[in-house]
Amino acid sequence: MDIQTITHKNIQTDLGTVEISISNFSLAFHATKILKDISVHFYKNKVNTLIGPSGSGKSTLLRCMNRINNTTEGITTKGAILFNSKDIFKDNNDLSYLRKDIGMVFQRPCVFPKSILENVVFGIQHLKKLSKTDKLKIAEKHLKAVSLWNEVSDRLNEPASSLSIGQQQRLCIARAIAIEPKVILMDEPTSSLDPISSKTIENLIQSLKKQYTIILVTHNISQAQRISDQVTFICEGNIIETGSAEKLFNHPEKIQTKTYLSDNFCNC
Amino acid sequence: MNRKNINSIFKIGIWSAVTICFGILFFLITVLVVKGIQAISFDFLFTSSKNFGAEGGIMYQIIGSIILVITVIVLSAPVSIGVAIYKSEYIKSSFVQNMTDTLIYTLNGIPSIIYGIFGLIFFVNILNTGISWFVGAIILAIMILPTIILSTYQSINSIPNAFRENANALGLNKWQVITSVLLPRALNGAFTGSLIGLARAIGETAPIMFIATAFSGVTIPERIQEPISTLPTHILALAQQATNPQALQNAWGASLVLITLVFLLSISALVRRIQFSKLNY
Repeated sequence: MDIQTITHKNIQTDLGTVEISISNFSLAFHATKILKDISVHFYKNKVNTLIGPSGSGKSTLLRCMNRINNTTEGITTKGAILFNSKDIFKDNNDLSYLRKDIGMVFQRPCVFPKSILENVVFGIQHLKKLSKTDKLKIAEKHLKAVSLWNEVSDRLNEPASSLSIGQQQRLCIARAIAIEPKVILMDEPTSSLDPISSKTIENLIQSLKKQYTIILVTHNISQAQRISDQVTFICEGNIIETGSAEKLFNHPEKIQTKTYLSDNFCNC
Repeated sequence: MNRKNINSIFKIGIWSAVTICFGILFFLITVLVVKGIQAISFDFLFTSSKNFGAEGGIMYQIIGSIILVITVIVLSAPVSIGVAIYKSEYIKSSFVQNMTDTLIYTLNGIPSIIYGIFGLIFFVNILNTGISWFVGAIILAIMILPTIILSTYQSINSIPNAFRENANALGLNKWQVITSVLLPRALNGAFTGSLIGLARAIGETAPIMFIATAFSGVTIPERIQEPISTLPTHILALAQQATNPQALQNAWGASLVLITLVFLLSISALVRRIQFSKLNY
């Protein structure tokens, strides 16, 4: 299927270039339908946010985009997810290439039992050979990008587990951007963090969007309001409403969206 | 009876269990040390045995045991680590998981004399290898497979799935995840398992006495098809001449040396485990 034929195309052209396009996508886990015929665009160099109650399927959708749940048994999919005008499900080659372009940051930071430096270069060193100075350069560049450099520059060889949880999460982001992806998927990246660390990550997301396309899952509506450019509201595996953040938060079209935004409750 | 009394009875019960357990162990080791230390001398440790062990030392038995366990670990560890990785990362169906579990536990439960008979029939009779220390090593390696497999498997399986996911999301393929995330952890488990397995293997008599060892006149084997002499089989030979007080004393001495080797292996496994538990995953 071509990007041109996607039905949602006419609705939001003012949001810029489409980076990932989801087209009539359904996902089932054994007999349970989790995503039902979803079509939505995600835009380049924007913060695209997925909101919805827990269990709505927003994380599942996110995890489809780099096929990280590829190994989970019992998952069947229908429809297409287009990236670079190719269906990522058609191309059954090495998933490493897909994941090089579409990075991911998880809910809980997970650092490898190695030094801070080794953690930053953990992904990239499997893609190309790095000398010691290359590693240092890469670490410096990306730790600066996540504003962690000042805090850790004098202890790069210490174990990454010695960092605070908030710092670890920024380290995970540094690790993800070190492979220079085009898109970064973020699955509730602040939900296990304290408010100050969350604020830092939010600011970081704002600065990262200049270079990367961000697709963010959050259940925190006010966070979505603060940092999103485009918002998609998912409930029970259906897209209820999608559009620019300004429009969706200020003038939601659907009654379900209104209820969810005001009462954090969904009856769809 | 009130709960205070029940509590003290329970406490007494637990304490007596611990006392009995450690008492027996303490008694055994004390007897072994007291009896064995009389036999130990420089000559005993560093000369070869004469007259079926009644005279001379146990140098070749010590060397034989060490050669045997080193060969055993070289044979057993790679296979075990491979099985453990396969079991943890590749087998998805729970039915097959249960089947492999059952197989491994069965393998673990086979009495050691059965391994000896199997070695005798399969290698010595059917493959016609003759008495060979290497065949003995193969049999012992098979015998300790389950110990290493289970220990390695448990350490791989206890790695949270988040590590696999994070590594996958960074573009690592399965092989890279295994070598750079799982194996470092697996090796620690394999190491502990190997030492425990070796501690068992070094003390075994039954699996090797028909196929790998000779009781007299053995030195360091130069070819694969030569017998070897080990501490446990030497103790067996000495015990059979128990009417000779010199042989009996040498048996005590050899036992003390054997128990010391086992003890060293167990202690290093323990040290390794403590070191490893400091690594947080």
